[in-house]
Amino acid sequence: MTNTETYNYKVVRQFSIMTIVWGLVGMSVGVLIAAQLAWPALNFDIPWLTFGRLRPLHTNAVIFAFGGCALFASSYYVVQHTCHAKLAFPALAAFTFWGWQAVIVLAAITLPLGITSSKEYAELEWPIDILITLVWVSYALVFFGTIVKRKIPHIYVANWFFGAFIITIAVLHVFNSAALPVSLWKSYSAYAGVQDAMVQWWYGHNAVGFFLTAGFLGIMYYFVPKQAGRPVYSYRLSVVHFWALIFTYIWAGPHHLHYTALPDWAQSLGMIMSLILLAPSWGGMINGIMTLSGAWHKLRTDPVLRLLVVSISFYGMSTFEGPMMAIKTVNALSHYTDWTIGHVHSGALGWVALVSMGAMYYMIPRLFGRELYSLRLVEIHFWAATIGIVLYIASMWVAGIMQGLMWRAVNSDGTLTYSFVESVQAMHPYYIVRTLGGACFLLGTVVMAYNLWRTIAGAKGIEVEIPAPASAH
Amino acid sequence: MFIQHIIGLLTDPVRQWEKIREQQLSGASSPVGHVFILALIPAVSGYIGTTQVGWRIGVGEPIRITGDSAFAIAIIYYLALLVGVFSIGWVIHLLGKAYEVVRPLSLCIALAAYTATPLFLIGLMEVYPVLWLNMLMGLPALAYTVYLLYTGLPIMMEIPTERGFLYSSAVLAVGLIALVSLLGMTALLWGMGLQPVFTN
Repeated sequence: MTNTETYNYKVVRQFSIMTIVWGLVGMSVGVLIAAQLAWPALNFDIPWLTFGRLRPLHTNAVIFAFGGCALFASSYYVVQHTCHAKLAFPALAAFTFWGWQAVIVLAAITLPLGITSSKEYAELEWPIDILITLVWVSYALVFFGTIVKRKIPHIYVANWFFGAFIITIAVLHVFNSAALPVSLWKSYSAYAGVQDAMVQWWYGHNAVGFFLTAGFLGIMYYFVPKQAGRPVYSYRLSVVHFWALIFTYIWAGPHHLHYTALPDWAQSLGMIMSLILLAPSWGGMINGIMTLSGAWHKLRTDPVLRLLVVSISFYGMSTFEGPMMAIKTVNALSHYTDWTIGHVHSGALGWVALVSMGAMYYMIPRLFGRELYSLRLVEIHFWAATIGIVLYIASMWVAGIMQGLMWRAVNSDGTLTYSFVESVQAMHPYYIVRTLGGACFLLGTVVMAYNLWRTIAGAKGIEVEIPAPASAH
Repeated sequence: MFIQHIIGLLTDPVRQWEKIREQQLSGASSPVGHVFILALIPAVSGYIGTTQVGWRIGVGEPIRITGDSAFAIAIIYYLALLVGVFSIGWVIHLLGKAYEVVRPLSLCIALAAYTATPLFLIGLMEVYPVLWLNMLMGLPALAYTVYLLYTGLPIMMEIPTERGFLYSSAVLAVGLIALVSLLGMTALLWGMGLQPVFTN
């Protein structure tokens, strides 16, 4: 039987290119606000250049613009290839691209203007939230529609992770963003007081758990075996840790609210669920690392594999650090300090960004029918990124511990040893090192963008026929 | 031989690692003495730095720790360093199974012990405990430690460098996790009231 149908690569190409563009934008804003913390004069007394307005712009740009585009691109690529089927509903797929870009542009306009719902990682006001919902429902229809059309009975494990991520984010977004509008750009949350805080961190921690973890595990489960040229180390482990991960993550949110007005039992439950979370997280890490281990002989010729090794190592490190910081006694010291910022970035830069970049190095040349322009540049990117991450998290560890200890120090008469501003002053050298680390990571991203631009310059997108599935063995 | 190893690791690490491997396999030397002596450097320097010199945050008098309190911390610090090095050696030995190179435990401990040399030596800077300066000096030492790990592991384990890269990365991840656990334990102990006694 001849199969003349081709993959829908157009929407994958669009999302891939915007992944790189938004990565550059979001990380540049990150370096700027890191520099502002070291040298506050850098906000030039212009309201929309101040830290308070640019910080949500940075987080939205790197998580939802860079990370979101990487997830759309890779899930659309993976679901077509593993199902031997063209994307369902092509018009809706195109709408997810233009709709998502519209969301990002609206965020880039409203956040610097100071228009915000004030919910962390969900700052966008209600009209934009409605647009996000429409895009997300379309995304679910396209993704699951393609799964329904699949030519092989088995649903590959990467699609399980993508599917869980799409469904859970829909639920989280709708519940957390429920609000009462008072004007076009102002609304109040549907929840009050501690309930609002709990819903916010139920959403917030699962944005980490499902958007930044489950989705990117989907990326890992397709691109790591592909790049290594080997099957996944253990399918059994992948299924077990999938169910354990999605069952446990949803309960971990209260660890953001230790020692607040939230009932104590809810805090303890959040802490215990966070500790349990170590096991499924490490299940994924072990599967990734062991899949790569068999491909050691390819490391000499393939620097992309190194990027993936480092990425999974940081996943292992930050998923150990997280449960530890969720312990109430540790959290009493670490919360509100820069240790948290360091922890987030070891996950965000080390795991999320590097595994996405590995996927882009794999996908983009194939989408344009070209060879990657330079492996040497990938190697430079690898070193710049790794050194950048290490500088970033090392400086934040020292800064965080120091802040925690200074805020807690009391004199024998019970008065505080340090004023708050003294702890701010003590942070100056670490903030400079952090800015350097961030700049180093950004430099690596610029090198990657140049490399991929040279790879696809002048190339036309290609059409690839969908191969007929191999017959059962 | 003790001093030779240190100088060798700083000047010509590849040759020195080969020498260390041969000596380990022939049973001519043990890394235990190396660790016991070198771990004294950060512990003693830390004691002197925190009791005699002190550090300053912002303006005001330098902060110091009382002699008794600092002595207890120095002993815990010394023991933590020993436990850290030996347990990382043990983990290297265990990880060998995953990478299909099972080598004697003593060789793995030697790898951990000699890899940590730059960190032990830079511990001298704790005599003058200015955190940001210490971090600035510590970073190159840390970088050299990582370099020693990546060059030393394939030589000691006698495996190809590419395979060693993966193995070393796993060891590095374990090292990072050990570091994070140390931070967590400090926070836990401090939270439970076991903190140093300051002089002011």
